[in-house]
Amino acid sequence: MLPNRSRLSVLIFLVPPLLLYAVAVLLPILQSLFLSFFQWDGVTDMQFVGLGNYIYMLTGDTVFWTAFLNTLGYLVICLILQLGGALLVASLLTMLRRGRELVKTLYLLPAVISTVAIAFLFQRIYSLEPAGLLNRGLELIGLGGLQTAWLSDVGTVLAAVSVPEGWRFTGLYMLIIYAALLAVPQELEEAAKLDGASWWQTFWRIKFPHIRPVWITTTIIATTYALRGFDIPYLLTNGGPGQASELLTTYMYKTAFTSTDYGYASTIAVFVVIECLVAVGLILLLLRRKADA
Amino acid sequence: MKTTRSRLAVAAAATALALGLTACGGSGGAVGNADSTNVDPAGEITPREISWLLSRPADGGVITAMEQIAKEYATDHPGFALNLITTPDRPSYIQKYQTLAAANKLPELFDTDATPYAQKLAKQGRMMDAEALLKSLDLYDDYRPAALNYQRFDDGSLYMVPFEFQLEFFWYNKALFEQAGVQIPATLDDIPAMCTQLREAGITPIALDGQDQWPLERYMAYHPFRTAGPSFVQDLKKGDAKLSDADGAAAVDWMSQLGSSGCFQEGFSSTGYSDAQNLFTSGKAAVYNIGTWELGSLATDALDAGVRDDVDYFTLPVTSGSATAANEYVSPSGIGMAVNTKTFDPLVRDFLAFALKRYPEVYAATGALSPTTNVETTIPANATPLYERAVQQANDVGETTAMPWDTQLDPTSNTRLQQELTLLVQGEVTPDEFISTMDGVIAQNGPAAFK
Repeated sequence: MLPNRSRLSVLIFLVPPLLLYAVAVLLPILQSLFLSFFQWDGVTDMQFVGLGNYIYMLTGDTVFWTAFLNTLGYLVICLILQLGGALLVASLLTMLRRGRELVKTLYLLPAVISTVAIAFLFQRIYSLEPAGLLNRGLELIGLGGLQTAWLSDVGTVLAAVSVPEGWRFTGLYMLIIYAALLAVPQELEEAAKLDGASWWQTFWRIKFPHIRPVWITTTIIATTYALRGFDIPYLLTNGGPGQASELLTTYMYKTAFTSTDYGYASTIAVFVVIECLVAVGLILLLLRRKADA
Repeated sequence: MKTTRSRLAVAAAATALALGLTACGGSGGAVGNADSTNVDPAGEITPREISWLLSRPADGGVITAMEQIAKEYATDHPGFALNLITTPDRPSYIQKYQTLAAANKLPELFDTDATPYAQKLAKQGRMMDAEALLKSLDLYDDYRPAALNYQRFDDGSLYMVPFEFQLEFFWYNKALFEQAGVQIPATLDDIPAMCTQLREAGITPIALDGQDQWPLERYMAYHPFRTAGPSFVQDLKKGDAKLSDADGAAAVDWMSQLGSSGCFQEGFSSTGYSDAQNLFTSGKAAVYNIGTWELGSLATDALDAGVRDDVDYFTLPVTSGSATAANEYVSPSGIGMAVNTKTFDPLVRDFLAFALKRYPEVYAATGALSPTTNVETTIPANATPLYERAVQQANDVGETTAMPWDTQLDPTSNTRLQQELTLLVQGEVTPDEFISTMDGVIAQNGPAAFK
């Protein structure tokens, strides 16, 4: 327990960032909650509609549900690429004897490129006319029949907009998980090997339980990031063709700034907040329970 | 310890609530005090800096001309400056201007199309009556009627001043037409057959910038403009006409045929503006639908020699029994400039009097078409003969203009229409599904937006 005087000083140091957080994060959320009960276009008077926006969102708006399902698809692809990819690369890195720093840096590079640049890059990669990297590559290896306009095909576009986001942050999560893997005591691993444990058993019984706290944090970060994903899909396809790559965030943005329906957009925003909270709750529940078992 | 914490929480919640209330109080739709019809306010001209929030290319003719004019004005009026804040990307611009309008922070001059949103601002008296202003400056009669009509709201009122005049043509490659043995389509309904024939010859029929969505939406406007005239979209947007009506259904069917005949390049929905244009200028696509703002790239020596002399254009084909004449098509005068009522004073009036009088001459010298009829466009030295022909065409254009639908429909219906059109042309939805979706969306959003 801290002595009285230092408790005061701790408070003094904590209040400014807390206030900043309250004004920058909590206040907008509260304002969205408030606005979500109104119909408002920004220029005429606000009209109170009660739960009208919520009822329409949940029962009448087909685009909303399409966007919600797309968001889940986007989330799954991002998580597989980011967490699965990160774990794989990090595990391989620990086996590498030379050039670790180089590989780490190369994997981390996409995380520091600006989003707009990434969007333009992938626009070129996916392009069909003129043929981009992906379609050229397919032709080179004799799979020319698979060539398609990846961003125009309603069957491929969701995956196509998810991959850049996944690719972009794989390196970052790889770094975190790699650091966690390095912290696993060598002697435990060696003891397990002496007892005849396979590579998989060593990984699953020894290494993974050790990195679980880091894994939980990483999963939460990656999930909330993916649920709030906006920029790359918006820049690559703007939600199209049709609503095939429309996410809740892009739909919310359009509702607010194209349709100027700030009330309904706030309703969607409140849903996104709830969705993130539920997702974090689920992750904690699932992964913690496993840890206790 | 526990009481301190809960007290702190109460204090934080109270602060948040107070902040929330002040923030909400400040963002109401407050309106300036000035009168939107008082175009000649009394008082001294006091030079100051004024701003124009606009959505035009940064190095384009309008901005270059206005910068020059503002400099000329400033030499006689020390202390004056024109601050041009441009956001050429239209969707981003619209967001910016609507956000500023909501905060009641629009500058002296701002760009807007004749959208339902702009009409709300006009109704609230936040934009000066442009017709009264132009008449009081004795400039009204200089303007091409088609240029002014493009800026008008449905009730005929005028709140925006045009700075351009454009004609939208179907540019085509004569050599590719000859190679495939096709003629210029006589009617809109000949276009699908033209596409099939070009496809059979291994040529991409029409280059389309699908990414920006408005180019495909233009096609949707064409068929009803011919069969029913400009009133169709005016009725449609309010829910008084439906796509399931004969004219609407014919248009939807035509769009679907464009898709099934392979009119547009594969993957058109993710092709951007310059990629689409390159398809045409590199001789890969036979037709390209764009306005005279691209004359500098389509009728110039700089164009690839293999394509340069093969470029020609035709105007929007008619339909049999067409309600509009062949010389009536999309002839936009670009996004218009609105004058903010709240900040309108003798200085703004005096500057506009000077600038709008001087503008046509300066602008036409850049090789562009002036929205007025009192000047001749200077033909650039490196232009091909096509340039002059296109410029001359402006004198022949009719007064009824085909309005682009993206400036007509309410934004929600417009967004959905753009999305569904892509699906329709790609064959992902049937014409019937398209009609039922769109009629439903417009019924829900249109009438409310035009109350």
